[in-house]
Amino acid sequence: MELSEYVQRGLQTLADPGAFPSGAFPLLLRAAFRSLLDAPAAQAALDHPDLKHIDPVVLKHCHAAVATYILEAGKHGVDAAALSSHLEDCKFDQERIELFCTEYQVTYFKNLNEQLLLFSALIGRSLPHITDVSWRLEYQIKTNQLHKMYRPSYLLTLNVESNDSQPYSEISFSCSMEQLQDLVGKLKDASKSLERATQL
Amino acid sequence: MEEADRILIHSLRQAGTAIPPDVQTLKAFTTELVVEAVVRCLHVISPAVGSGLSPLLPPAMSARFRLAMSLAQACMDLGYPMELGYQNFLYPSEPDLRDLLLFLAERLPTDATEDADQPAGDSAILLRAIGNQIRDQLALPWVPPLLRTPKLQRLQGSALQQPFHSSRLVLPELSSRGEQREFQASSLLLPAPTQVPWLVGRAASLLEHHAIQLCQHVSRDRPGDEDWTHRTPRLPLQDDPQAPRQRLHKQLAEHLRQSWGPPGVLPKFRDLGELLQAWGAGARTGTLKGSRFTHSEKFTFYLEPQAQAAQLADVPATSHRPEQDTRAPQEQELESLQEQLAGMNRNIEEVEADMKTLGINLVQVESECRQSDLSIMEQEQALRLKSQAVELLPDGAANLAKLQLVVESSAQRVIHLAGQWEKHRVPLLAEYRHLRKLQDCRELESSRRLAEIQELHHSVRAAVEEARRKEEVYKQLVSELETLPRDVSRLAYTQRILEIVGNIRKQKEEITKILSDTKELQKEINSLSGKLDRTFAVTDELVFKDAKKDDAVRKAYKYLAALHENCSQLIQTIEDTGTIMREVRDLEEQIETEMGKKTLSNLEKICEDYRALRQENAGLLGRLREA
Repeated sequence: MELSEYVQRGLQTLADPGAFPSGAFPLLLRAAFRSLLDAPAAQAALDHPDLKHIDPVVLKHCHAAVATYILEAGKHGVDAAALSSHLEDCKFDQERIELFCTEYQVTYFKNLNEQLLLFSALIGRSLPHITDVSWRLEYQIKTNQLHKMYRPSYLLTLNVESNDSQPYSEISFSCSMEQLQDLVGKLKDASKSLERATQL
Repeated sequence: MEEADRILIHSLRQAGTAIPPDVQTLKAFTTELVVEAVVRCLHVISPAVGSGLSPLLPPAMSARFRLAMSLAQACMDLGYPMELGYQNFLYPSEPDLRDLLLFLAERLPTDATEDADQPAGDSAILLRAIGNQIRDQLALPWVPPLLRTPKLQRLQGSALQQPFHSSRLVLPELSSRGEQREFQASSLLLPAPTQVPWLVGRAASLLEHHAIQLCQHVSRDRPGDEDWTHRTPRLPLQDDPQAPRQRLHKQLAEHLRQSWGPPGVLPKFRDLGELLQAWGAGARTGTLKGSRFTHSEKFTFYLEPQAQAAQLADVPATSHRPEQDTRAPQEQELESLQEQLAGMNRNIEEVEADMKTLGINLVQVESECRQSDLSIMEQEQALRLKSQAVELLPDGAANLAKLQLVVESSAQRVIHLAGQWEKHRVPLLAEYRHLRKLQDCRELESSRRLAEIQELHHSVRAAVEEARRKEEVYKQLVSELETLPRDVSRLAYTQRILEIVGNIRKQKEEITKILSDTKELQKEINSLSGKLDRTFAVTDELVFKDAKKDDAVRKAYKYLAALHENCSQLIQTIEDTGTIMREVRDLEEQIETEMGKKTLSNLEKICEDYRALRQENAGLLGRLREA
């Protein structure tokens, strides 16, 4: 996990007991965690009386650095043990490390209702997931250009997982038999290559 | 047989043949499967031979025939002991097929060597991790969206994902100073996470900001790092905001220099500012061009060539006449001040040049002074010597004799001292040499020991490396062993093989016992039949002798002969029965093998194929005639 200089400096300042006395540290930590979780309460969190005697620029720098650090740790899927070893490298002392780790675990692993769990999974775009398929066979006898068509084709409808924000939940299309065979063949190839990937 | 078939099918699958999973015995092998298996084995065994053959059976009969013939030829080239023909491939019989496939499977190179040198590099580890992840995800059953836990939701559904919208954040810096720091300290700058009201956007903005910081940091610190080229390219660098401006300055300077060529050779100026100042000092002779040089935005007028300079002058002149009156006195003052400045600069330069020459002169004079001091000292010494000689001159002869005595005594003293010195020198020299040798020896030994120690260190390090590597390989192999498919269990097979070997040994013993029993029986039979013949011959003679005289004896003799004949017939019948039973058994075995060869069905197939071949030939002939 790589951290930029800004975040590293913030963490170093946070670790220094001279700059951040042990009364202020848990407050800042909780403020950082809460600012990533709830929207409204974060504004008042930095106005706590114990935090007033610290230079506001230092305070804000550390707050931003801690918030970024938490997000990066969550993005890389770091668990509490690795987190504590990384914090030791950043010269945090033992009780601060424990505090950090308990808060981190509470946020990421135990409280399933909190949205911070899987934050990085919630951000992103992906192609729609197909859940179901239904098909019909049609037989074209004639069109307006040709009188004797006599050709079968398939009408497929793919049901897609949807939620409120997505406007469509179905993909419909028609294809000839060869195209359908092609599609099925490609799906089989895809599943085979997945299996081959699992066997290296 | 089943087990052997399964092993054979497994090894054929490893060679690349796609055998459908429900084929368990060689009996179920169709023609296409046979051809595919043989071709793939040939591919693996000798790619040169196998590359010309296709694993798919062509539909045309003649092409099939040709393919089968080439396959037979290839197998015989590999060293198959028995005769092969197209019928072995197109109309396979189970025992022949088994022999052929076993022969090919033996020839397949063992893939133990492939597994031994696993690439343990980073890419292999990454691929393996990817494979494990995919395997875990494939093992999870699909759960309908309303029943999923959030963890499953991440893997299986994408409906709840929100797009990545990031906004620019303003982050305070610890190292900021002055006005910026005041702004950052005030309550006007919200703490970073609260600058974005929407939660997901907050996380997105923080992540993006951090990534940008990382890119800048990395690119600044490692301009020539080799690893840099191996990393995946990150976000594009934010350009130094000064760079475009610098570039623009340079371009403008070049252009201006080119367009103002005619008024004499311009000296080289380093940047745009100096160029402008020089013009400012020199372009005060007249038109309003001089009023523009301070404003860079209005340079566009100066970029046109000098031919249009007059035109240029008119344009700014016309638009600037009203301002001219207010600015003229200022301009004049500025010009006079600049003249003064130029004059002062010139004075300063002259004074500097003078200082330089004076300094050089000073240095020269000092060196001359030192030289003359030295010569003075030498001459003083010479003077002293000569004055002493002059003092001694009046008492000439006596002084000369004294001087000679002194010289002699000093010479003798020198000799005496030299002798003493020699006395001291020799033992000291010997000791010195001795100590030197000792030291050399010790150095040699110590260097040798040092080399030994270093070698030991090396070997220790190498051994530690080796041990670590072997442990890694061991771990990898153990994990691979767990993931290997369990359909071929070697332990059971080895045990069964050992059992079979024991059984065969026991059977061999029994067979030898039976053989010895048979031999004994045969010997008994021979001896008994010999005894029988001899007894019959003796009784025959005896009875025949008496048969001439007595009737009863003659009847007895006839009965004896009849008895002998009947008994011999009986024995004959028994022997015949035995041989016939053996023949029956042999014939039954032959019938079984022939049934296994499926000759009847193959014959039918051959007839069909023959008919198809004839039709193809007729079709080709017809087409030939048409064309």
